[in-house]
Amino acid sequence: MAIVIPESIIPLIPWIRGIIGLLLIGIIFIGAMGAVWLERKLSADIQTRMGPCRVGKYGLLQLVADAIKLFTKEDLKPLNADSLLFNNANIFMLGSVFLMLVALPVGAVFINGVEYPLAVTQMDISVLYIEAVSALSIFGIFMVAYGSNNKYSLLGAFRNFARMVGYEVPLGITVISVAAMTGSLNIVDISSAQGLHWNIFLQPIGCFVFFVSLMADMGRLPFDQNESEEELIAGWITEYCGMRFGLGFFAEYIHMILGSFLVALLFLGGWNLPGFIANNSVLGLIAPTGFLLIKATFVLLVIIGLRWAVPRFRIDQVVDLSWKKLLPLALLNLVWAVGLGLYLGA
Amino acid sequence: MEEQLEPNEMIIHLGPQHPMQPGPFRLNLRLKGETVVDADIELGFIHKGIEKILENKTYLQGITIVDRICYLVALVNEECFVGCTEKLLGIEPPERSQYIRVILDELTRIQSHLLGMGEFGEFIGFVSMFMYTIREREEVLSLIDMITGARVTHSYLKFGGVRDDLPDGFKEKAIPVLNNLKKSVGDFEEMFHTDRIFRERTVGVGVLTADVAKNLGVSGPVLRATGVPFDIRKNEPYLIYKDLDFRVCTETAGDCFARVQVRLNEIRESIYILEQCLDQLPSGPLFPENTYYGRRTPVMRVPAGEVFHRVEDPRGEMGMYMISDGSDKPYRVKIRGPHYPTLQALPPLIIGTTVADVAAISGSMDGCTSEADR
Repeated sequence: MAIVIPESIIPLIPWIRGIIGLLLIGIIFIGAMGAVWLERKLSADIQTRMGPCRVGKYGLLQLVADAIKLFTKEDLKPLNADSLLFNNANIFMLGSVFLMLVALPVGAVFINGVEYPLAVTQMDISVLYIEAVSALSIFGIFMVAYGSNNKYSLLGAFRNFARMVGYEVPLGITVISVAAMTGSLNIVDISSAQGLHWNIFLQPIGCFVFFVSLMADMGRLPFDQNESEEELIAGWITEYCGMRFGLGFFAEYIHMILGSFLVALLFLGGWNLPGFIANNSVLGLIAPTGFLLIKATFVLLVIIGLRWAVPRFRIDQVVDLSWKKLLPLALLNLVWAVGLGLYLGA
Repeated sequence: MEEQLEPNEMIIHLGPQHPMQPGPFRLNLRLKGETVVDADIELGFIHKGIEKILENKTYLQGITIVDRICYLVALVNEECFVGCTEKLLGIEPPERSQYIRVILDELTRIQSHLLGMGEFGEFIGFVSMFMYTIREREEVLSLIDMITGARVTHSYLKFGGVRDDLPDGFKEKAIPVLNNLKKSVGDFEEMFHTDRIFRERTVGVGVLTADVAKNLGVSGPVLRATGVPFDIRKNEPYLIYKDLDFRVCTETAGDCFARVQVRLNEIRESIYILEQCLDQLPSGPLFPENTYYGRRTPVMRVPAGEVFHRVEDPRGEMGMYMISDGSDKPYRVKIRGPHYPTLQALPPLIIGTTVADVAAISGSMDGCTSEADR
């Protein structure tokens, strides 16, 4: 059942795209809550537990209950805390994650064979932009740690810096390899270019390095040395309680979801599926976005599952891993990608 | 420690309340960045005065008190206390009682090692490990529950025997649990051996040498991991251990990995001992015949004398030195717990390592602060 789309709608498409993009960003928020629930259920499954099952069907409302709890908790602040930093750090963190949302396409619609990505803005350097703002959250962490005047927090922040310096480099290099091969820094172009050849098959090493670096970037286990509750209690977030903690927690999960989208867009073919050509049917309109969501969910599940299946690295081992193993691999991948780009381009 | 502080160093206190601790104690670390420059340990936050309490309770009441030294190994503590008193009284429990006591000791050892391993997994960031081991431990606790009627503090041992006989169908219940456990231990071992991150975090970390361990009086799995085959069950057999076939598990490396490996092997040996006990379990009375010792031993006077009795606790050597002045209460009971010396080995081991290793090393000791403080 084909939908006839009048030509007169074409000039309005940027507006429509923007509205849909905003809506989807709202959905990502709900997605973050879903990710929390998913993590609880999946971890429970890995650990042979039940997970949340009392609040709502399958414990689906558990997060609502938790949010109410966080909102109604007393807002405690340590006596010697730096008010400016302490009060605003988590808002800053959440803000830096929002900034990523601005350039990230969460799907695409094909109208008459023309591709319209569902993103708030389209910029030519969106990959670089996303990389840049995703690194901002580190400053939020350091604001928390410095502001809360706590030694555990400070140690956690030190670890975070050491890790971040190490992992931004391979992360950046793998992104550059992808961009160099595609010939564009626009994430939409990179995604569209993977119609048949997904980057994971063209650059498997790059995909691996990117995924590991991203895990480190997001601070998920085995790279959560900044939190490591066994030795640093909760690391950088030790002094936070109530909704202040909730904001940081939320930012972490949104970061995780956006990271999954990034992997799906850069390496798993974005909204493309080989053999599927979008036409003007309902399926054709929905399917590309659906493919991207499925891919991103898969990556999310891997990220969540890994947390409960491996122990944590020590910080010196993490830094070792980055400089001695991942960086050479990333450089190797860059050479490979450029060569492949030239070969394919020719 | 404060006075020696250099400008680029800081002191952090792990404890008395801290996630990595089995019980409240304080670990003061002088840090240079992440590296531990100096460490000292402060005990006494959970001192219960058990030795003094024992002086004011009759021997029978003392059994319930020694349960509380460490809830994980309540039955072994009882074994030590009751063993002391039996030596003073000059009685020996009949064979069936001895077998039941050995069964309980070994079940205690298994569940304690399981919990210790799970906590260790948690300390190096592998949270799921705790859930895996605690699930197996639950089955073992159920077996103990079947015999004694309690999961944690039992008051099950009596002078000259045990309170109750084994329940009907215990063997049939126990065999599947043990078989299941054997499989799980294999799984844990495979997990520990194949996980690269686990190996990186444990191999060569916190190496304790045999000399240092002996000098400090360290015993149990921590000592055996350094290659010293010292086990009270072999070296100074009590109950019927001399008739049983088992080996003393040792490793040579002395690091965290070796300590976990020793515990895994000991669980296997304990299962083997249990199987032997269940097969050979003789019938007969629970208490020595023609004496007045029984299920309801009245308040009794114990002949004057001094005696030392030691047993193999899951954590090492548990000994009690008991002096009786002929009254119905012990004149003095000195408890020599295994974990106090083990804790003394902690500060030298963690100096020079990083903060993350402090949790790993401390966890691999499988401590019980409650028992170190008493």
